[in-house]
Amino acid sequence: MIRLFLRRAGFSVLALLMVSLVLFVLTRAIPGSPARMVLGFDATDAQLQQFDHENGLDRPVLVQYGVWVGRLMLHGDLGKSLVTGLSMNQRVAATLPVTLELVVLAFSFAAVLSVTLGTVSAFFEGTAADHAARIFAVVGVSVPGFWLALLLILLFAVDRSWFPAGGIVPVSAGLSAHLNSLILPAFSLGVFYTAILSRMTRSSLVEVLGQDYIRTARAIGLPRRLILRYALKNALVPVVTVGAMSFGYMFGWALVIETVFNIPGMSGALLTGINQRDFALVQAVVFVFTLIFLLANLVADLANAWLNPRLAAEVR
Amino acid sequence: MTGVQEQIGRRPDRPAIWARLPALLGGATGCAGGVLVLFVVVCALLAPLIAPHSPVAIDLQHKLAAPDARFWFGTDQAGRDVLSRVIWGARPSLQVGLVAVVIGTIGGVALGLVAGFYSGGWFEQAVMRALDAMAAVPLLVWAIAIVGIVGVDPVLIGPFAFGNEIKVMALLGLLYIPGLARLTYTSALVECQSDYVAARRLQGVGGWRIMLGDVLPNCLSPVIVQATLLVAVGIIIEAAISFVGLGVQPPTPSWGTMLAEARNYLFSGEWWLSLFPGLAISLTVIAFNLLGDGLRDVLDPRRNTAVFTT
Repeated sequence: MIRLFLRRAGFSVLALLMVSLVLFVLTRAIPGSPARMVLGFDATDAQLQQFDHENGLDRPVLVQYGVWVGRLMLHGDLGKSLVTGLSMNQRVAATLPVTLELVVLAFSFAAVLSVTLGTVSAFFEGTAADHAARIFAVVGVSVPGFWLALLLILLFAVDRSWFPAGGIVPVSAGLSAHLNSLILPAFSLGVFYTAILSRMTRSSLVEVLGQDYIRTARAIGLPRRLILRYALKNALVPVVTVGAMSFGYMFGWALVIETVFNIPGMSGALLTGINQRDFALVQAVVFVFTLIFLLANLVADLANAWLNPRLAAEVR
Repeated sequence: MTGVQEQIGRRPDRPAIWARLPALLGGATGCAGGVLVLFVVVCALLAPLIAPHSPVAIDLQHKLAAPDARFWFGTDQAGRDVLSRVIWGARPSLQVGLVAVVIGTIGGVALGLVAGFYSGGWFEQAVMRALDAMAAVPLLVWAIAIVGIVGVDPVLIGPFAFGNEIKVMALLGLLYIPGLARLTYTSALVECQSDYVAARRLQGVGGWRIMLGDVLPNCLSPVIVQATLLVAVGIIIEAAISFVGLGVQPPTPSWGTMLAEARNYLFSGEWWLSLFPGLAISLTVIAFNLLGDGLRDVLDPRRNTAVFTT
């Protein structure tokens, strides 16, 4: 278990380094120097060169990357914007909690609802409830979350003002108002994953319920609740893996949902970075997202090994 | 003996292809998907013929008109017909969805097949580790970041100018490669253990011929299913990237950019601007998902739990 963890963690670090290197090289390969961007078109060549020199932009790309990684490793410093001069750590610290709260809320909602739906669907296979849940699953994976968000705003924020149409009410204005402003975004973000995970729960549970040990348990006359517990424990193995990975993927869609609702999270930071050609910002946001994504995958691997000891033994 | 020979020589009577089609597509689900996909593809191909108005002609006299007999889906802020724009919008969506999947499938199948066939060698190790690293990338964030860095200007290749969507296609295709390669690799590993491959080797058939002629066809079923479902994924991602302004660039009509523009009219009551492009996306995505599900029931019944998160 520990060896598996170390191997996975080591690989994640390596992947993170490779991935950030690709992004780094890409930002440097783009024509148009940041110096021109910052100093304007009137700047002389000497001024541009001086700017490049002061910011280390005249050094080889790999050296620049080494400096960036060094600072990150030693001080946890994500760098500083050349355009605004602001520290990336502050920027991330200001925006990440907002996105994190949204994703955690959407994820919890998706996890609870999908396991419930999938279980009901599998236990009552072939009934109306099952069909309804399966139709929901197909529609849920097909309807884009950001469009659903627009419709929800039209229906529940514009026509009836049950929820605010955008922005996040701060916690200081009351917890219920705060949560109320998160309901539509979290729902729009979570529906896709609810659909996927409920479908997985259903198919996995249907398979497990057909196995001999469950039949035996039924024949013995064990109470339904107990059978459900035994079955779910095995059926949820693949769901937990995909669920943990989904958590990482959700951050990507959170960018789009945040745009719809004007939520001041990481998406704002990324899109500002793109519009202002502020590559330090883009780099910082993508680094944080990739890190979260890899952590989620790591958790998925570990959960898998923990729930399914045979697999862990194989890897060893 | 001759009777047996005759029986072997003669192919059993099979019903015509159109009669077998429902079974090939996996029953009602796959058929519904197939019909819907056909519908969207026909709309995209025949857009110039079936669109009632020009998708780009500005007509400020009729701007923001509600749906009526003349403009079925209403008009937008520049007086452009929403129905015509929705029909034309099928083009970039399908282009991105299909081309990306073709890139991903060619790359993924090639890498996965060779790695699986020559398993145990350095090539396998190198490919699989590289794929692991590529899979460490959250798809959507990266697509947004890279297009953002590279910029949304058209790409000039020789005398041809390609819209920004070509970057989205190429990028999505690249990002699809790890998943499809792993899928092919897993099947190829299993196939290479099987007796028929051993028999072909004993016949003295060369490695490449076995790989391409025997192993490859037997690995394709799950790939076809996944590729179909990935078209759906690509269409949603293209719409999302266009929605944040980094995909298809105006004035080319696309569903994602139409929704982005519709955001400005949420509060003034022009609901048709938000409704119809989104319906078009959902319909197309449902179509490919249903088709993929149907194909899976036929081609790959055991791999029921394969999931495509993005």
